[in-house]
Amino acid sequence: MNIMTDRKTTAAEDALVERFDGVASSLPGANVDWVRKMRETAMAQFKALGLPDRRVEQWKYSDLRAKMREAHETRVESDAISESDIYDVLGVDLDEMLSYRLVVADGVFDKELSNIDGAEGKFEVTSLAETLNDPPAWFEEKFGKVNPQKNEAVLALNTAFMSDGVVIRVADGAELDRPVHLIMVTGSTKPGLVTTRNFVHVGEGAKLTLMESFSARRTPDMQRNCVTEMVVGDNAVVEHVKYQNEGRMAIHVASWLTELGQGADYNAFEFAIGGAMARHQNFLRFNGEHASAALSGAMMLWDNQHVDATTVVNHDAPNCQSRELFKCVLDDKSRGVVQGKVIVAKEAQKTDGHQMARSLMLSETAEFDSKPELEIYADDVLCGHGTTSGELDENLLFYLMARGIPEKKATALLVNAFIDEAIENVRNETIREAFLLRSADWLGEARG
Amino acid sequence: MLEIKNLHAKVDGDMILRGVDLEIPQGEVHAIMGPNGSGKSTLSYVLAGKDDYEITEGSIVWNGQDLSELEVDERVAAGFFLAMQYPVEIPGVGTMNFLRSAMNAVRKARGEDELNAAETMRIVREKAEALNIPLDMLKRPLNVGFSGGEKKRMEILQMSLLSPTLCVLDETDSGLDIDALRIVSDGVNAMRGPDKAILVITHYQRLLEYIVPDKVHVLSKGRIVRSGGKELALELEKSGYAEYGEDEAA
Ligand SMILES: Nc1ncnc2c1ncn2[C@@H]1O[C@H](COP(=O)(O)OP(=O)(O)O)[C@@H](O)[C@H]1O
Ligand SMILES: [Mg+2]
Repeated sequence: MNIMTDRKTTAAEDALVERFDGVASSLPGANVDWVRKMRETAMAQFKALGLPDRRVEQWKYSDLRAKMREAHETRVESDAISESDIYDVLGVDLDEMLSYRLVVADGVFDKELSNIDGAEGKFEVTSLAETLNDPPAWFEEKFGKVNPQKNEAVLALNTAFMSDGVVIRVADGAELDRPVHLIMVTGSTKPGLVTTRNFVHVGEGAKLTLMESFSARRTPDMQRNCVTEMVVGDNAVVEHVKYQNEGRMAIHVASWLTELGQGADYNAFEFAIGGAMARHQNFLRFNGEHASAALSGAMMLWDNQHVDATTVVNHDAPNCQSRELFKCVLDDKSRGVVQGKVIVAKEAQKTDGHQMARSLMLSETAEFDSKPELEIYADDVLCGHGTTSGELDENLLFYLMARGIPEKKATALLVNAFIDEAIENVRNETIREAFLLRSADWLGEARG
Repeated sequence: MLEIKNLHAKVDGDMILRGVDLEIPQGEVHAIMGPNGSGKSTLSYVLAGKDDYEITEGSIVWNGQDLSELEVDERVAAGFFLAMQYPVEIPGVGTMNFLRSAMNAVRKARGEDELNAAETMRIVREKAEALNIPLDMLKRPLNVGFSGGEKKRMEILQMSLLSPTLCVLDETDSGLDIDALRIVSDGVNAMRGPDKAILVITHYQRLLEYIVPDKVHVLSKGRIVRSGGKELALELEKSGYAEYGEDEAA
């Protein structure tokens, strides 16, 4: 596929291609052969693909090329970010949540702001930049190879430009007593492009809650491309949560590339309230039998926000279960996109897969696009999907108001009743309560 | 005093209320009876201020205040309460949370202090007990999976929690067995008072043995066509509604 040859390139595409030649030699791992080659291959792929637009089937509802006409200056250095900046973007409850804290500020891992006291014997953290400059053998073996995707331009772009991030290695059998909170914030008020890459290896039988929080509130006009590769070992239990609260002009593309071992239990959740254009891609692959995964998300959008949750689940092993539930509350001219693809390989008998996407439309100008897809090559499976889209039920609203509850509060109660069903999928109580609070405040903020 | 004068109202373009005149002085309980489809529920919704129920003529005044000018929630703050014929189920909204929101919204609108969770719980428990509502019901989403009788009891609980002065009960007796009917009637009778006006809408005379009305009115085709004392209910029970435009089977 070579799209760039039969169409005019955009300023953003030109800038990215040109920029690569300039920065390649100064990016982490430039002195390591395989890293340099990996970046070059990725760049060649990006050159061939260009930014995805609506002609690319998987991006037809979210035309990144059209939304990102220009590429902002690549941000590889951290502007001063303080503890109080982090408090501001997280809010008191998440800031005070007992956690191992890892901070990536403007695309650079910030050791000063991070704190993993007590991690000894359970997990290790290094920065991606460090690791790329001096990669251990185990890292070379796995990195860039977790659930790889073909022809994904944003993944290629991430590999080409990744500046930093974290590498987390959880020991076999380690049970982390509190979540690892990976906080990705920006400090500069100037527009910027941040490319972050994280790599997480969860050992056999380990237990981990990893939360990724994104906020570019200080940098409203931020372009972010973040990838997290994760290997979940046999019988490991992982909760992977994302809090996307980017600035109002931000373009945010995040991709999770995950592989599950035998008997693994994986619970992924995304709470998305920020960004002008945001897409979260969840690529999940079952490699061993008897594993189960739940992918869910809550999106609450207003104004012109466009938020996309795309999942691709590959059932490559028999006897696995996947569940998906995505809910969107859409106000004003916002647009919510939920795409879910489930691919059941021939040998993946007894696969049990179900997906559901629901939207609550608060305005006539909002738009909801849902595209469920099933590709089934096995014959003994239980798979299904459903989509619903509805408005607020006037009868319920009347009932609440007939009990003295003013319209705004009554609407908020119904909005929360709708969206909280998805949020209830978060297992960690502190995080769940924090999201429930934000969903309760959302309507007041959206409607001013 | 509730004064309804020459009330005309349309639903979906159809004129359903065609000149209702009704006065209920404070301290009295009135009953409206009438065949199915005569407009009883429509009258209750028009009083509550439901959207799509358009008043084309006439007025509704409660203690000198024009109710038709107020939003649905403002009417409740002004003392109005409607126990609905078909209470809705609201999945995802916890009953206790809902009750507290309603109580505090009304208290706030009336200039009273809001209640904290513990205070709400104490008051709700006390009233729920009197209505034989198990605490377990309060922990569930509002009305979800409740039986018809449970829903009706929940309506009366809400009525007693919001301290209304003008109560309308739309077929609160339907779906109740004798025991539940007695409990619900006790709840309604407890609301009676010199400053209260109560309107009981029912298809059957049975309820009026427990909630004895001062006056009974017959609604037919959107108008009050007859009024009388409590003995009128007994008469209707015997004769049926045939002469008021509906056959016995309805
Ligand atoms: N939402 C509605 N749209 C159109 N017609 C309605 C609606 N609700 C009620 N009606 C009509 O209004 C009339 C009165 O109904 P209703 O007030 O429910 O009667 P009752 O409560 O006395 O049985 C009936 O003819 C009914 O069909
Ligand atoms: Mg009725």
